[in-house]
Amino acid sequence: MHKAIALTLLSASLMGISSANAADKLIVSTWGGSFRDLIDEAIGQEFTRQTGVEVEYVTGGTIDRLNKAKLAGSAETDITFTTSHVGWLYANDGLFEDLDMSKIPNAKNLVHQAKLSPNHIGVWGYVYTIGYRPDLVPEDITFDSWEDLWNPELEGTIALPDWDPSHIIAVAAKLEGADAEHWEAGQDKLKALIPNIKAFYTNDANSQQLIATGETPVQLLLSMNAYHMMDEGVDIELAMPKEGAVLGIDAMGINKGSEHADLAYQFMNIALSPDVQAKIAEINNGSPVVTNATVDPEIAKLPGMLTTAEQWDATLDTDPKLRAEMTAEWRKWFSENIMAY
Amino acid sequence: MTRKPAFVGWFLLPAMLTALGLTIAMLTVLQYSVRAYIPGSLDVGGFTLDNFQDLLKGLYARAFLNTVWLSFKTALFGLLLSYPLAYTLVRTRTAWLKSCILIIAITPLFLGEVVRTYSWIIVLGNSGFLNSLLLAIGLIDKPLQLMFTNTGVVLALVHVTMPIMVLMLATGLSHIDIAYEKAATSLGASPFRAFLTITLPLSLPGVVASVTTAFAWTFSAFATPQLIGGGRVSTVATLVYQLGFSSLNFPFAAALSMAGLAMTVVLLAALKRMTRPLQNVGTH
Repeated sequence: MHKAIALTLLSASLMGISSANAADKLIVSTWGGSFRDLIDEAIGQEFTRQTGVEVEYVTGGTIDRLNKAKLAGSAETDITFTTSHVGWLYANDGLFEDLDMSKIPNAKNLVHQAKLSPNHIGVWGYVYTIGYRPDLVPEDITFDSWEDLWNPELEGTIALPDWDPSHIIAVAAKLEGADAEHWEAGQDKLKALIPNIKAFYTNDANSQQLIATGETPVQLLLSMNAYHMMDEGVDIELAMPKEGAVLGIDAMGINKGSEHADLAYQFMNIALSPDVQAKIAEINNGSPVVTNATVDPEIAKLPGMLTTAEQWDATLDTDPKLRAEMTAEWRKWFSENIMAY
Repeated sequence: MTRKPAFVGWFLLPAMLTALGLTIAMLTVLQYSVRAYIPGSLDVGGFTLDNFQDLLKGLYARAFLNTVWLSFKTALFGLLLSYPLAYTLVRTRTAWLKSCILIIAITPLFLGEVVRTYSWIIVLGNSGFLNSLLLAIGLIDKPLQLMFTNTGVVLALVHVTMPIMVLMLATGLSHIDIAYEKAATSLGASPFRAFLTITLPLSLPGVVASVTTAFAWTFSAFATPQLIGGGRVSTVATLVYQLGFSSLNFPFAAALSMAGLAMTVVLLAALKRMTRPLQNVGTH
């Protein structure tokens, strides 16, 4: 009996210690792999150094984490990293706190494209553009324009992401003199691309395998992933079409009901500090979303890096709120009219 | 009359709780399937049957037919490849051969479906193992397009389902008394005739069980058609994923799931009915 009581007390003490530790942690929801490592190396470790508070990461796919947050009812994480348009879904469903911008002084330097909503702000930028294997595409195709994707010489060579057609939809609309809001103008243009499309990649690993093996030597690629693949030894070149590459922004917001909101604000402020933003560019070629970050010139000159207001403004920027609202319609149309053929 | 011990009932509890959880999950999917989609939100709207009406569109009807066809081909080719392996496994007296077959047949079960599928991408690619081999020995002069095709998906699915088919067939074959075959051969039948007239008919219950399992398994397969198919091979499971996790249109994805479930139940019931005479072959 005495042993049972002792064990109970010991268990209770251990649980108490465990709860105390949990209270001293900031829990961050993010993607796995290189993005989790980037956040930890560039932001998390600096946050811990400044505050003494450990950061715990909960990783998963963009939509998995959104679903979990929706089903959880209460905040299981304190900060969520997601893409800008999915951030709108968090916001629309009341899963993000309204941000008190006075608690994020570094946000005053945000580029206007990264001021996403009252609930979420950008943390780094990138572009979706044409990545290709120079040894496997005809030499005369230079990808100076998005029009080159429609070149008949590229028949059966292109891979597009299967989860989000918004990038190629924005491109087709632009080539037809419209924009993503009036995307119907580009429908015929998209159908004309069908012969050149070989596959649709499911995730970054799938994309990397398809381009590394030469299965799909031309891809619509996220620039940060392209540089990650180059670091892994894959021979890829990134093109910058004259019409502009498609802008993407990853964002952060504070989960509704977070018990560590003040720590979360500190984390976000550190994430937007010039040094951390420069480090993000250095580690993973993410473009700074603040105007006062000093990026190594060798990195700044790489295709897809956005370090000046002019470069940001030259991108094809689809309103993330529009993307959040139109994703299902675009995806359904794309499935029925492009992927099915 | 003997009474069962009271604790036996408790043994059923985990299974009952699992079944209850599964039922609740299925009812949740069902209620999602009759709700309207709200663009830009995870919340769903009021009652509607439009989601089921949309399933009649060409793309979705084709996906259903393609899934049935893929499942049929996988079960058929899986059976043709698994039966000889299972037969040899059960009948051989050579220990090393038995071990070899067990390792070949069972080891893939220790790897996840995704890992096995990624391996197939390396094998089936234009510069992959299979094409390189065929090119090297001069059987083809340009790579065969196997990735992103139904053929490639079936090849990988057969590999995914083979271990379980071999195990089920071997179980069925091991219950056949070898004395029947000996009796047939002692009466003058050739080994092949003995196999055709004795062993094969007696193994049909195992064949039916393995084919049914392979069919049902393939019908719901996701990772293999998604990765090997590269978006060019539509199945019910890949469309559910695309609609739910890419488009966030959970009501439509739920309607597709319910239709897929209903179709699986109908097809398996039809298969069971058609093979009823075979299921009791060999029982005493």
